[in-house]
Amino acid sequence: MSERDSNTGDAHDVTPYAPGAGTVRVDDSGGGIVGNEFAEVGVAVDHSGNGPRLRLEDYRTGRVRNLDALELETIIWLPEERLTQLLDPSTTRWREEPDR
Amino acid sequence: MTTTVPDSARATSRPDYAALIEPSRVHGSLYTDPRVFADELERIWYRSWVFVGHESEVPESGDYVRKSIGPQDIIMTRGRDGDVHLVFNRCAHRGNLVCEDARGNANAFRCPYHGWTYRNTGELLGYPYNKGYGGKGNLDLSLGRVPRVDSYRGFVFASLAEDGPTLAEHLGAAAGEIDRLARLSPEGRIDLGAGWLQHRTRANWKLLAENETDGYHPQFVHSSIFSVTGSPIGPLYSDNSTAVTRDLGNGHSENDLRPEFRRHGETLRWFGTSESRVPNYVARMREAYGEAAEDILVEGAPHVMIFPNLFIAEIQVFVIQPLSVDECVQHSTAVQLGGAEELNSRMVSQSIGSVGPAGMLLADDTEMYERNQRGLEMRQPEWLDIRRGMHREALDEDGYRTGAATDETGIRGFWTHYRRLMEVDT
Repeated sequence: MSERDSNTGDAHDVTPYAPGAGTVRVDDSGGGIVGNEFAEVGVAVDHSGNGPRLRLEDYRTGRVRNLDALELETIIWLPEERLTQLLDPSTTRWREEPDR
Repeated sequence: MTTTVPDSARATSRPDYAALIEPSRVHGSLYTDPRVFADELERIWYRSWVFVGHESEVPESGDYVRKSIGPQDIIMTRGRDGDVHLVFNRCAHRGNLVCEDARGNANAFRCPYHGWTYRNTGELLGYPYNKGYGGKGNLDLSLGRVPRVDSYRGFVFASLAEDGPTLAEHLGAAAGEIDRLARLSPEGRIDLGAGWLQHRTRANWKLLAENETDGYHPQFVHSSIFSVTGSPIGPLYSDNSTAVTRDLGNGHSENDLRPEFRRHGETLRWFGTSESRVPNYVARMREAYGEAAEDILVEGAPHVMIFPNLFIAEIQVFVIQPLSVDECVQHSTAVQLGGAEELNSRMVSQSIGSVGPAGMLLADDTEMYERNQRGLEMRQPEWLDIRRGMHREALDEDGYRTGAATDETGIRGFWTHYRRLMEVDT
């Protein structure tokens, strides 16, 4: 098993930042910015689809990821050590291998 | 090539503290000699127990605040384990500061220089482009951890020495003064989360530590705030006062104002208010403590200097942070008590009035500290006199040396402990 497979699997359902592309209907009741000195992420519930999903935006790069309910539940149940592995920068964003 | 200083030269380069500290006077060079300051860092600040922060400043998992131990930048964090951790603010890679913000919430930190990440307890989580290190998890590195961390009623102390006296041994009788503060809360809970003001002060840290329980200066230095506010505090520090100055041992000292407040027997006089203005607080105190509430409300809060850097001044807390022989920072915050909302808003207002940017108390003291530092640079006379009240000291029923309200008993206690620590060879 490669290093990468053992940690994140494929990076799927990630759309590059495209301002003005499509209409995002954001729930204005529960959104906001989760930010600290290390990262800033916009968080909103997006209702533009047939059902709600969580829209996450990395404000420092513009990269967006949408997460549905099952994906969110999966994150909640992620074992602590798996989350810790994801926080190793060379697991995800800063690795030598290009994205497939 | 490496050079080492011969032991004999090192020995002679250290000041002779026994010759500089006498029972009734101390030498001026103790406040101005950079060698003394270097010695103090090694023998006091990086060895003895030093107050760092309060657990209430990091209430939630992932909370962190930047703190200090002298010039050392320390991050106080609340881990997922619920415990409070102290780590040095220095990346294990190239030594950059990892945290910049004064406070925040983060389970993991990322160094801005090369992107190394750490758990908020100090564990290294990873580094970018791991092939340069032969893969993941190949470095046995972490943020520096403070060797000993302990707390008392939420007050977090650190010792950079692996061993030595316990915190309980260090605090000794001073712990009882923290208890006195806590029992002013109907919930027995102190909160120091109101935020800290910082005042950079061009003076040696010891001038501040000595002044905190010097009952001789208030009538002069603080006469303006006493006259403007009509405060009853001024007369507590006079020859007619029944208040006492107490050497609590280990360098700790207090101005015990209780005899004066007992003499008047008025609840909340210590706070300059009356029961009718804080009715819910008084009701909750009586509910929580029953008959004992009367004494608590009459006797009020402690005025205690806990060696070397924590000063509890009734309604506010000061922390002394030395930076160099002639510079320090005074950190101050309003005490907040659990379940005492009526008191808390008043304590914030009073703190702003006394230590805020236009406050009248700390500015007066700081003017004296900076003038004092300047005056100490004069060549004559070489000594500072600390004999006031020596002839009228006595041991109280608990065996602590006690002087009159305006006596320098606390200052002498400070120097006794200081000398003991400074004479130890490392």
